[in-house]
Amino acid sequence: MQNAKDSFYVELRTRLVAINPARTVLLRSAVRPGILVEEAEGPFAQLPNDVFVLRWLGLGVEQNLPSTMVAEECEVLYSTLGTQSYGGLDRGRALSAMDEELVEMLTPFWTPKLDYTATPAVAMLTKIFWDEPVFGQVTATRERMSRSARVVVYSYLE
Amino acid sequence: MSAGSYLAGAPVVRRVRGYFAPVNRAGSLPVIFDAAEEGGFALDSPPAPWVSLGCIEGFARKAGSKTAAVMTGIPAAVLEQTRETLDAQVSFRFLSWTKLTMGLATGSQHMNLLATASGAGAAGDGGIAVPAVSLQTGATATFLPMAAADAAKFAAGQVVAVDVDYAGQTGYVGSPVSGAYLKAALTDVDYVRRVTFNVARVASVSTTGLMLAEALPGGVPALGAKVQAVAGFVDREGGSFFQEWSGLFVMEGGQGERIFFHYPRLQAAGSAEEFADALDAKRGGSLQRVVLGGAFRALPVTDPLDGERVVCYRSFLPAVGALV
Repeated sequence: MQNAKDSFYVELRTRLVAINPARTVLLRSAVRPGILVEEAEGPFAQLPNDVFVLRWLGLGVEQNLPSTMVAEECEVLYSTLGTQSYGGLDRGRALSAMDEELVEMLTPFWTPKLDYTATPAVAMLTKIFWDEPVFGQVTATRERMSRSARVVVYSYLE
Repeated sequence: MSAGSYLAGAPVVRRVRGYFAPVNRAGSLPVIFDAAEEGGFALDSPPAPWVSLGCIEGFARKAGSKTAAVMTGIPAAVLEQTRETLDAQVSFRFLSWTKLTMGLATGSQHMNLLATASGAGAAGDGGIAVPAVSLQTGATATFLPMAAADAAKFAAGQVVAVDVDYAGQTGYVGSPVSGAYLKAALTDVDYVRRVTFNVARVASVSTTGLMLAEALPGGVPALGAKVQAVAGFVDREGGSFFQEWSGLFVMEGGQGERIFFHYPRLQAAGSAEEFADALDAKRGGSLQRVVLGGAFRALPVTDPLDGERVVCYRSFLPAVGALV
């Protein structure tokens, strides 16, 4: 299952770099593409702005198939304050831009599954694939606007 | 209840497992399953020649037999009953698409799409194929020896069909599984390899031959067998050929008890059918799983025990310690 989660994250990160290379985050003294996996970082008092945060939630297993299928639900959280140069008045536009980036990142709806415990990563036999995202409503806390989207990622155990 | 035994309730099962074995069509010889002798087999490794097709869903049996009353007297009263017709159907859904499940689920002939030669004209079930490669001596069910130059024509990951050249024979074609019935001779030298169930995926290629990722269903290739690459599979709606297989369905209860439904002769009933099930109906996602539907009519066999004609054997192996 971890291979599927790793592959999903790395593929989205690769796509984000192509879609918007300017979306970066400074984490532990390193500038990285603006997407991270919550469970693989130190605890946040508040999730960083202008960054996509992947949070893994539910898990389903179907064992009646020739190969066991695993469904894992991923919540993608993102929020923004807009930009300083516009005094935060562009926060709605910034959130819309992130909405579009996420849709683009999730297309196409599949990617090869790789084992990232090896260096370099080793291609596995199957692909992972996912459903269309279900977007939640925008929430506003003072000037901070947030949204989350949920997507179910499917993979076969191998 | 007594020491060491208990009153068992109805078996609680989670799934139905399906197994099929080829009927010798030319000899009209179905495969018989003896639950007393073989009923304890490991579900993932059934006794030969049964082939596991994994779990199936929607398993439904429907008895079509009719009985009639023999009336006598005034006013007429039932004297006895007689069985007028003997008929049964079974239907279910396969949870995988393989050569065998497609072949079983189609109501007609099932064929291999042989890799086509360069410039071959289009044909619904595959055009003129790349010429077959001869096998050298020493072939096994998992290794196909051939000249280095011939082996170089294949690649790991390809699917290959292994069978003899078609030589003008009529009647049932294909061994050990009859994949077609020919009323008149053809001219296609590859016809047997088009209909054979003797297919497998290539695991690796070496200068001495092809190592297969799975054993050929037919075992060691027949003398004179040749190899051709397969691009995929195709079946047709229509035609006059009916698949016939022996079927075995197993329900295993939570206490280890087993229920077997053994159909010595199952013929495909109806045409190929697929069903789309939502992968995540609760969430309303758009992903759908396409599963093969299979419907079969049970044909009778004569039970050698007493000469009765029957279509299905239902066996029950009680759990250890359960009172009977």
